[in-house]
Amino acid sequence: MKTKLILIAFFISGINLLQAQDSTQAQIQSIKDEIAIIKKPVQTHFMLRGFTQFGFDASDENINFNMTSFNPVLLWRHGDRFLIEAELEMEYMSNQFEINLGYANASYIVTKGLVVRAGKFLIPFGTFGERFHPSWVNKFASQPLGFGHDGIAPSGDLGIEVRGGFQLGSSKLNYSLYAVNGPRIKDGTEEPEEAGMLMFKNETENNNNKAIGTRIGILPLSNSSLEIGLSAYYAAPGSSHSPFEGDPLNEDLNYENVTAMLTAVDLSYVKIISPLMGIIDIKGQYSLSNISNAVYYNPEDTSRYTFTNESSAYYVQMAYRPALAENQILKNFEIAGRYSAYTTPVGSLWADNKSQITVGLNYWLSWRTVIKANYQINESSMSGGHGMSTMTGGNGSMFQLHIAAGF
Amino acid sequence: MKTLKYFIQTAFLLSLILMIFDSCKTSLAIKEKTGSVLWSENCSRCHYSPDPEEYNDAQWDVIAMHMRVRTNLTQEESEKITRFLQDAN
Repeated sequence: MKTKLILIAFFISGINLLQAQDSTQAQIQSIKDEIAIIKKPVQTHFMLRGFTQFGFDASDENINFNMTSFNPVLLWRHGDRFLIEAELEMEYMSNQFEINLGYANASYIVTKGLVVRAGKFLIPFGTFGERFHPSWVNKFASQPLGFGHDGIAPSGDLGIEVRGGFQLGSSKLNYSLYAVNGPRIKDGTEEPEEAGMLMFKNETENNNNKAIGTRIGILPLSNSSLEIGLSAYYAAPGSSHSPFEGDPLNEDLNYENVTAMLTAVDLSYVKIISPLMGIIDIKGQYSLSNISNAVYYNPEDTSRYTFTNESSAYYVQMAYRPALAENQILKNFEIAGRYSAYTTPVGSLWADNKSQITVGLNYWLSWRTVIKANYQINESSMSGGHGMSTMTGGNGSMFQLHIAAGF
Repeated sequence: MKTLKYFIQTAFLLSLILMIFDSCKTSLAIKEKTGSVLWSENCSRCHYSPDPEEYNDAQWDVIAMHMRVRTNLTQEESEKITRFLQDAN
C-alpha cells in the first residue's frame, strides 16, 4: 500500500513537472516572438544630418564674423535599394542670407555595380564638388579657386545619372555617366562684363539639348589609398533665338552653335605612413574649359569683339596629421597647405589670372569637428573687378578662424 | 608667395614619388579584407573614420547606402563595412 502511494505521488509530481516545463517553453517562445518583432528590420529609415561652419575672417579691409555654411542633409532609405537625399545650402555672409538647394534626388540600386539616380545631384566633375565640399571634410575654411560662384565647372544640376563601382582584380574602378540640363552662356545682355562665361545655375532650360558628362575613377592600389579620375562634360549652352531680337544692330548675333567642352583630371592619396607617425592626405584637380568662339557685343563702346574662350583652374593640397603620436593633444593637430590658380580668357571682359596660397593649422575635436586657422594670400591680375574680394580671389591676404562640424 | 608656391608644388611631387614606392607593396583583394580594414581604408579617403558607437544599426544602414551612392563603393565593401559598424556599436 505504501509503495502504491509513493508511485501515485511520483506520477502526479511527474505530470506537474511536465506541465511546468511546457509552460516555461511556451513563455520562452513568447519572449522569442516578441524579440523577433522588435528586431524585425523595418523598411523605412529617416535621418537628418548635415554640417555647418562659422568663424571670422580678418583681411586688410575689415574683420567679419561669418556663417559660411549651415547645410542640413535629409536622408530617407526605403528597403535595400532605394534612397532619397537632399541638402539645403544656407549661408549668412556680409549681411546677406542665402538659401539654395544643393541637391535633391532619388537613387535606386539596380544591380551590384549599377545605381540610377535622378533629380538634382552633385556633378561628378572631378572630386572636390561632389566629395570634398562639406565644410567638415574640406581641410580649409575656403574653397580652392575655380569652385563655387562663377567657377569653371558645374557643382549641381537637374538630370539623370548611372553610376557604380566594382573590383578589377586587386584594383577598383568607378564610373558615372549623366545627362543634365546643362549651362547657358552669358550673352552679355544682363552682365556685359561676363559675356562668354558659362552660367551653371540654369534650372530653366534655354534650349532642347542636354549636357552630358562622365567621370571614370581608378583606384590602382588595393588599399584604396590612391584614386585618379578623369572627367569630361559637353554642352551646347546657347539658345536658338538671338538674345538681341528686336535690336536691328545686333540681332544677327546668335549663340546657337556655341559648344563647351570641359575636362578634368583629379587625384587623391590618403595613407597612414608609420615612419612619419601620421596620416598624409594629398589632393589635386586640374580643370579645363574650352568654349567655341563667338562674337559678343560691348554696350559700353558699342563695339563687337571675340576671344579664345579657354579657362583653366587647378589646386594641389597636402595635409599631415600626427595621428600615431602618443601625445593626446599633438595627435589632434593637422597642418595643411594648398595652392590654387584660376585663369580666365585673355581678351574677354572677365580676363584674369588669379592665384592663391593657403596654409592652415587645424585642431580636430572629434572625427567630424575641427577648428581651422588659415592664412591666405591672394593675387589677381585684375584689381577690383566683378565679384572680386579677398574671399573669392582679389588681391591681399586674410586670416580665417573657423569651426566646422558635421552632424 | 613664389617660395610658398614652389614649396607646396615640390611637396606634392615628392608625395607622388612616395605613392609610386607605396604601390610596390603586396596587396590584398577586397574579399580577403575584414570590414574594419575596409572601414579604415575607405572612409578616410574623404574624412576621418567614424566611431561605430556614434549611430545605431538602423542609422548605419542609411549612412552606408548614402556613402555607397556618393563614393561609388562596391556592394561587397559597403556590406562588410556596415556589418562591422553594426557589430561594433
